This record gives sequence, C-alpha cells and structure tokens, in this order.
Amino acid sequence: MTSFFENLISTFPAFMEAAWMTLRLTGVSLVLALVIGLIFALIKVTGVRWLGLIYNGYVGIIRGTPLIVQIMWLYFGITNIVVLSAFWAGTIALAIHSGAYIAEIFRGCIQSVDKGQMEAAESLGMKRALAMRRVILPQALKRAIPPLGNQFIIGLKDSSLVAFIGITEIFSLSMDNAAVTFKQLEFYTIAGLYYLAMVAMVTFVLSRVENRMDTAK
Amino acid sequence: MIKVEQLHKYFGDLHVLKGVDLEVAPQEVVVMIGASGSGKSTLLRCLNFLEMKNQGRILIDGKEVDPATTPLNKVREHVGMVFQHFNLFPHMTVLENVIEAPVHVKKVPRAEALKRGRELLEKVGLGDKGDVYPEKLSGGQKQRVAIARALAMEPSVMLFDEPTSALDPELVGEVLEVMKSLAADGMTMVVVTHEMGFAREVADRVVFLDNGQIAEQGDPETFFSNPRHPKAQQFLSRVL
Repeated sequence: MTSFFENLISTFPAFMEAAWMTLRLTGVSLVLALVIGLIFALIKVTGVRWLGLIYNGYVGIIRGTPLIVQIMWLYFGITNIVVLSAFWAGTIALAIHSGAYIAEIFRGCIQSVDKGQMEAAESLGMKRALAMRRVILPQALKRAIPPLGNQFIIGLKDSSLVAFIGITEIFSLSMDNAAVTFKQLEFYTIAGLYYLAMVAMVTFVLSRVENRMDTAK
Repeated sequence: MIKVEQLHKYFGDLHVLKGVDLEVAPQEVVVMIGASGSGKSTLLRCLNFLEMKNQGRILIDGKEVDPATTPLNKVREHVGMVFQHFNLFPHMTVLENVIEAPVHVKKVPRAEALKRGRELLEKVGLGDKGDVYPEKLSGGQKQRVAIARALAMEPSVMLFDEPTSALDPELVGEVLEVMKSLAADGMTMVVVTHEMGFAREVADRVVFLDNGQIAEQGDPETFFSNPRHPKAQQFLSRVL
C-alpha cells in the first residue's frame, strides 16, 4: 500500500500534464462534435431525402464501427494525404465519433418539440429557418442538455483510446509506467482515479448548468 | 377577401374535402360548424397552407396562391391563425410572444413593437401579464395572448381553429368576448367552433360542413331556426 501512494505521488507531475492533455483532447473534440452534431441534425430535420441519406450514412457508419478502428483509420489514412499531428488526428477522430451520437441527441430533441410550435411560427409569417432558430432550437437545446452531459462524460473516457496512436495522456502514461515497473494493477488503478476525478468535475459543472437552465421544464 | 374554388384534399386514400366552394367577404364573420371529421378544420388549415390542397384554387385578396410559386410566409403575414392548443412559445414571455413576428418578420423597430404589443395585451385584458411566461397563465389567458400575438401582425383575416375546445367551461366566455369585440371592430374572421351561441350571436354566415362538402349555409337566424338539410337538422338536434 505504501508503494501505491509513493507511486501516486512520484508520478503526480507527469500525470497532471497527461490529465491536461486528456482535457484538451476532450474539450476540443467535443466542441467540434457539437458543431458537427448540430449541422447533421439540422440537415436531417429538413426532410430532404438525399440529405437524410447522408445523415443515415454518417450515423450508421460511426455507430456501427468501434472508435478504435475509426482512430486508426483516421491516423493512418488521413496522414497519408495531409500532414496531421497525432493530437489533431486523435481529436478529429473523437469529434467525428461523438458528433454522430450528438447529432442523434439534437435530432431527437428537435423532433420532440410539439409540431404546433412550428405551425404557430409559420402562421405568423416566419420562414422555416427563422422559426427553427427562434422557436424550435431554443426549446430543443434546453432539452438536449441532460443527454449531452452524458455524452460529454462518455467522450472524456473515450479519449483514452488515442493512447494507441502515441499521444501521452492519462491512459498511455499508465501503460508506460505499468510496463516499466511491472506494477500493472497499481498504475491502471491510478489511471482510474484520475478519470474518476475528472468525471466528478464535469458532473459538478453539468449539474450547475442544469440547475441554472432549469431543464426539467 | 378569401375565395375557395372546388377545393379537394386527401389524406392518403381518405377524401377529406370534396370540392368546397367558399367566399369570405371583407369584415365578414363566417362560422364553420359540423360533426368531427366533416373537414371543417382541414378546410381552415388549407386557407393558410398548413395543409396543402390537392386540387382547386385558393385566392387571397383577389390573387391566386399557388404554393409552388408564391412564398407562403408572405401570404401568412396577412392571415392570422389561432389554434385549439394555443401554441404559445414557452421560452418567451407573453410580451415577447406578441412582438416576436413583428420584430423578426416585419422588421418593426423593437420599441415600436413593444408599445403596440402592450396595447394589444391591454385590448385582450392582459395588460399586466406582459412579463410572465405562458406556463403561469390559465388556458383562457393563453388563448387571449395567442389572439394578441396573431393580431400583432395586423392580418387582414383571422382564422380560429376551435379556439375554445381545449378550455375549461368557465374560461370559454373570456375568449369569446375578445372574439366578439374583434368582430365588432370589423375584423374578417373564419371560425371553426362548437359554440353555437357564439355562431348565432356573432356570425354573419354559418357554414355547415358534412362529409367534406358544404351541405348548407346561410344567416344564423335562418339556419338555426329552420335548417333544411337533413344532416344539419340531425346535427343541431344533437348539439342544441
């Protein structure tokens, strides 16, 4: 047990740096994923057939294949064409992945707004795009906050998979330490503790946001 | 004001409107009645193109409206609509509901829209409710806000789709009062309702729909005291 705490303390500076990398990967990829998700949700709800097919293709492929495959595909595929750092390859892969789930969240929330809202907006002379922006989206986005929070937490933990393309974040640092010291159980437990702490932070922020927005209404 | 010629509407295989002809003159109040499923709400919704006709012509202010070539949002600016379930915007205050379309569709300056909005709320008896959210209002109050919201666009005709059907009985009167005062001000109105008292008192003309067709129409006095069509007789004997 003493060795566990010794290891925890001696690796603390390195893990803090790795944690910062995990947070950056997660933060940047989720911001991109929100943009991707919103755009795809909006093209889906236009009801235009070929746009719907694009949506179905995107969501179908992303949800139908493992994240690790997508990361590898992007890292070894895209870097053949353009020069991309491991960080950006990982971030983009995570963004495209979460984007599909977030698109489904947005689509569901937009479609859950009573259709009388769109009818009322249109009957007042609003074009569909204006009605979407002023009337439907504010209601839909508020409803999206609880499921988005859930997706953010999944995204944070999923970022561990970029360890396999050589980014030094929490999980890869644990792997390295475990390999060098042969103390696998200890270092993967340490990794778990860091994730637990970060998820607790995110959860705290989300609950504050939910309270402020009064999303139960 | 509004002219409908040989209007047909299908929902899949269901033939809902079977060649309806209807004309509404300026300042006229037309009340459409009929059993549920007779097509009266569908006819009303065709008038501002929330439902698309399958055949026939619809003329608004003398101009034929072809959904394929006419921007419908422009047409709808002149045709106000009040819904059975109010459809107020829950994320906006009462006053914001009222000024939303004038500010963002007609580009009325905000200060002017607010002033006009407060006047309209005053007119429907809700001058003190501008800053509350719709969820705090009773059904009757919500519907009066919905009327003010439609009026804020200064429409040339107002459509009412069963405006009191979702209300508790004791709240029906306050909404009908507002509608009566609108009629007295000379607003052109087409009203689908089950309120026979309102039809009798306020309508210039009663239109009775049966099975997707206008079975009978006329002034309310004659219609209610002496309906000719057997279906109209049957309907009135059940509701009066």
